[in-house]
Amino acid sequence: MPDPGFFVLHPAVLPPLEAGGYTLEGEIEDMPAGAVESLAAQLTVSAPRFTMPPDQILSTFPPANSSGAFQATLPQIVLKRRTLPWERQPDVGDPHLPWLALVVIAEGEGTLSAEAKVEDCITPGLNPPLPHPEDRDTATSIYLEVTQTVVDGVFPAKEDARLLAHVREVDVGDSELMGADDDGFVAVVIANRLPQPDFDDQGRPLPRKYLACLINIEAQHTKLPPPPPDFHFSFDAKAIVQDPGLQATQFLDQPDKLVMGGPAPTSGAAAAVGLSAPRSPDTTTAAVRTGAAWSKNVPAVSAAAVSATAVNASEVVRDAMAANWRIPIIALEPTYRFPVLTHWSFTVSGDPTFEELMKGLDVGLIGTLVGDLPPKTPEQIEREKQRTPPPAPARLAPELAETGHLGLVHQTRRGDKVEAWFRGPASPHPTVREQPDQNGRLPLAHASDQLLLVVPDGREDVSLAAAFEIGRLLALSQPAVVNALLRWRQEQFGAARAAQLAAEALAAVAKALGAKFPARDAGLGALVGRQLVLAAASRPEKVLAPSRPLVDPGRPLTYATGDLDTLVANGLGFSLDAVRKAAEQVGVLAALADTAVASAHDREPVLTGPGFAGLQAELDRTVTALAADVLKQPPAPAPTPAPAPKPAPVPAVEAAARPRRRARKDALDRLLDSLEKPS
Amino acid sequence: MPFEAYLSSEVVLQAKVASVFDVTLPTSDVDDDGEHVVPFELRQWFARLRLLEGVPFAYLVADGALLPLESIRFFYIDRRWTDALVQGALSVGTVSSDDRTQLEQLYPVVRNEVDEAEHKVRAVGGEGAKSTSGTITGFLMRSKAVSGWPGLHVRAYDRELPEGDNAIIPESDTRRLRLLRLERLAPAVLLALFDGIPQIVHIEEPRRGIQFGVRLDATEDLRTFEPWIPPRDRNDPQKVINAKVPVPCRPGSPGVLDMKHLNEALIARPDTHLSGDGVVDAAEYALEMLRFPYRQVFGDVSQPVGQLDQVFKPTVKIEAEAGEGAPSLIERFKGGLA
Repeated sequence: MPDPGFFVLHPAVLPPLEAGGYTLEGEIEDMPAGAVESLAAQLTVSAPRFTMPPDQILSTFPPANSSGAFQATLPQIVLKRRTLPWERQPDVGDPHLPWLALVVIAEGEGTLSAEAKVEDCITPGLNPPLPHPEDRDTATSIYLEVTQTVVDGVFPAKEDARLLAHVREVDVGDSELMGADDDGFVAVVIANRLPQPDFDDQGRPLPRKYLACLINIEAQHTKLPPPPPDFHFSFDAKAIVQDPGLQATQFLDQPDKLVMGGPAPTSGAAAAVGLSAPRSPDTTTAAVRTGAAWSKNVPAVSAAAVSATAVNASEVVRDAMAANWRIPIIALEPTYRFPVLTHWSFTVSGDPTFEELMKGLDVGLIGTLVGDLPPKTPEQIEREKQRTPPPAPARLAPELAETGHLGLVHQTRRGDKVEAWFRGPASPHPTVREQPDQNGRLPLAHASDQLLLVVPDGREDVSLAAAFEIGRLLALSQPAVVNALLRWRQEQFGAARAAQLAAEALAAVAKALGAKFPARDAGLGALVGRQLVLAAASRPEKVLAPSRPLVDPGRPLTYATGDLDTLVANGLGFSLDAVRKAAEQVGVLAALADTAVASAHDREPVLTGPGFAGLQAELDRTVTALAADVLKQPPAPAPTPAPAPKPAPVPAVEAAARPRRRARKDALDRLLDSLEKPS
Repeated sequence: MPFEAYLSSEVVLQAKVASVFDVTLPTSDVDDDGEHVVPFELRQWFARLRLLEGVPFAYLVADGALLPLESIRFFYIDRRWTDALVQGALSVGTVSSDDRTQLEQLYPVVRNEVDEAEHKVRAVGGEGAKSTSGTITGFLMRSKAVSGWPGLHVRAYDRELPEGDNAIIPESDTRRLRLLRLERLAPAVLLALFDGIPQIVHIEEPRRGIQFGVRLDATEDLRTFEPWIPPRDRNDPQKVINAKVPVPCRPGSPGVLDMKHLNEALIARPDTHLSGDGVVDAAEYALEMLRFPYRQVFGDVSQPVGQLDQVFKPTVKIEAEAGEGAPSLIERFKGGLA
C-alpha cells in the first residue's frame, strides 16, 4: 500500500480467471484397485455483464445531475473491484483490452432504451454473436442505440479503449473515494471526450446535457472506430456529430407511424421528401399534435411546435426533443446497440472554467473602478473628439474620492438634500485608529452625539455616523442583545458600585481573613463568596468553629475511685494481699494464674471460691431489693439474708408472664435455683 | 459497610472550595471568567459585529461600481468605522447620564476585550500566528467562481514565499495570516478578512478528488478551443516540465480526443521518458491527463515572478481534500503489476 498522500497508477490488473464457465477435471492415477472415474466439476466465474451492481460504483465525475464548467475535464467512473474492467475478454488473446468503455453522448446523438431483455440489448444479427449468451447477471437491462456516425465520431477507438481503464492504488484512509473500499485498489474508467457546451450565434455558451454510459463492448469491439487518419489541434465546440434534424423531420412527417409502430422508413426517399417539401406551419403543428397525443414528450414537443415556424421547426423540435435520449432514432445508416451497465447525466453549463474566471478577474483595491485608465494624452482626447458619435458611458460613474469616499445624496436632519461623502468599512488606505489619551481615556460616542465630519470641501462625511447608526439598529434588532446589554448594565455596573461602597468593609474582612481581594471582578457577590470560602477553608477555626476532635473521651467512672488493684481484686473476689504475697515468690503472672476467682458456669457447681459468700450476699440484697420494688413492698432488712418471701398474689399480668418465664430456664433462673437449694 | 465516621469541617470546606472553583473558574475563555468586564455573550456579539456580521451589504459596498461583476477588491478595514459600529451598539439602553459616564469610563476596557475576542470568533486550529499589528485587511470577490465552486481555499501570507507560488505550504505555516472571516455574503460574493496585511493571497479551486482533463485555450471565435496538457515525466512525475503539448482532436467531433496521435506526440518528447517501450500504457496515459486544482496567486506584480504561465502551472503535488492538516497527496508513478 502506498504511503498516505501518495497514489500509484497501474495500467491494468488482470484477473487470474476470466468470467465464464469452466470445467474442473480431476483424475486419480495409479490406484491399486484400478482406474478411478475422472471428476468433471462445473465452475462458473461470475462477473457483471449487463448491469453494474451499485456497490461496485464508488464515484462518478461529473456528479450525476450536476451542472457546471466541465468542459476541460474527462468524465470518469471509479469502480470498486480492481479487476472489473478486465474480467471479460472482448477480443480473445488481448487480455489488456477492457470490456468496459465510458462513452459520453450529447443530446440527440443516441437513444437510451427502456428496460429490455438482455438478448435485445445487443445489436441484432451480430456476427460473430455474443459468446455464451447464457452468461447473464440479469434478465433485463437497458441499451444505448447509436448510429454508425456517432460511433465513428464519439466512441473511443479500439486502441484507445485499453488506455481508458487503469487501476489506482491509494492509501485506504486517504481519499474521499475510499469510504466504501477495502483494499485501496480501485479501477477507473475514463471517457475520451471533453463535454462541450453549445454556443449560440453570438458565441455565448448555452448549457448542454450529456449522458455518460458505461457500456459493454463485448463482441462489438470491432465496431469501434479506427484511429482517425487526420487530426486537428483544436475543435469546434459547436460542431454536431450527428444532425438530428433529419430525424426530427421524419418525426414530423410520420408521427403516427413512429408512435403507433409499423415499418420504419426504408428508403431515403421519404427523408428526402420530408426535407425538401415545404410545409405550412399549420400542417406541422397538426402533425405534431396528432403524433404527440401518444408521445412521451407531449408538452415539450407540442409547445415547441406551436411556436415554431416552418423554417426552423425541425430545429426547435429537435431542441425540445433533446430533453432526453429516449427519442427513437430513425436513421438510414446502421445502428448499434450497446448494453449499458450504468449511466448518469450531467449538464455542461458553458460557464468559464475556474482558471478562466480567476485569470479574468478585475483585480484592484477597493475604490478602483473598472475602466480606470491612466490619464489620457492630448492626442487621445483629440482623437476621441473626432470620433462620431463620442463614446458615452452607459452609466454615470460614481463620484469617488482618492480616499475611497463616495459622494452620495444625503438628506440632512433639516430635510435639505445635499451631497455627502460616505465610505464603508473597506478603505483603500490604512486608517489610524483612535488611541487612548494619557489618562487611558477613549472618546465614546453616544446616541445624542454627532459623528458627522465636515471635510475641507464643505461637505459632510457621514461614514462614522452611518456606522454608529447601523450598530445601534443591529443591536436593537435583536432582543437578546438588548437584554444582555441591560442585564450587563444592571448587574455588573451595580456590582461595580457596590464594590466601591463595600471596599472599606471588605478591607476589614480581608484583614481578618488574611486574604487579598483583586481590584475588580465580574460580580461582587461571586467574588465575596469565593474569597470567603477560600479564606474560611484555610483557617476554619477562626471562622466557623474548632474542628471536632477525632476521638471522643469516655465518660468519667464515678465508682472507679481508689486503687485500681484493690478495685479489681474486690470485684473479682480474691485477696489482693494473697496475690501480692505469691507474686513476690513466683511473679505476678503466675500468681494471678494460680488465683481462683468466682466465676459462673453452666455446670455445677455454679459458684465456688472464697469470694462466694460476699457475692452471694450482694446478690441476695440486690434480688431482694428488686423483688421488693416489683412487689411494692419495703425492702427487707439487709443484714440477714432471709429466705425469699412468699410470693404475694400477683396481678394478672404477672401471672400471665410467669409461665413464659418458667418455660425456659436461663442462667439467672438456674442461679436462683442453686441458691434456694442449699437454703 | 465501613465508612468514614467523621467529616471534619475542613473536609467539607475543601470539597466546597473545589466545587466552587471547578464550576465557576474555567480556565478557558468560553464563559464569564471573572477576568473580563464584558460578559461573554456580548463580547462575542461585538466581535462578530466588528467583523461586519449583519452589516447590510449596501453599507459595505455603497455603489455597485465599487464591486463590478467578475472582480476582486482588496481593502483595509477602517477600524474607526467598526469602532463606531460597536459604539452604536453600546449606546443601546444608555438612559441616564450616569450610564453614560460609566460607559465612558469602561470603554477602553471594552474595546480591548472586543479586540481580543475578535481573534477567537473563527477559531480554526493551526492557522498560523496571531497578528500583533492590529490591522485587519480583506477582500471582496464577486465572481462566478464563487457561486460555481463552493468551498474555495483562501490563504494569505505575510510575505512573498520563496518556495514559489505553486509550492505546498502546510496549513499551520507561521507566515500564514489568520482568516478572521470567510463567508459568502451572496451566492457570488465572497468576503474574506485577514488578521494582518498579506503580501500574497492564494485562492485555490476546491479539491474534489482526482480529475482528468486538459487545459483549454479559447480562440478568437470563442467556440473553437485548443486543448493542451502539461507533459509529465514518467520517471519523476513531480518534475515540472514547462511546456504545452497540444492535444489532437478527432475532426468533426467536439471534444473527442485523438489519443493515438496524442500518445505519439508524448512519446516523441524525450522529457516524458515514455519512449522506453514505444507505447503508452493506461497508467502512463492517466498520469499525463491528471488535472490538478488551479491556484490563483494574488501578489505584488512588481516582484519578479517569471513567465506568467509558469506561475500558474500546477505541480503534480496536490493536497488531500481530507481537511486541514492532512498530509499532502503527492502522486507517484509506478509500473504496473506483472
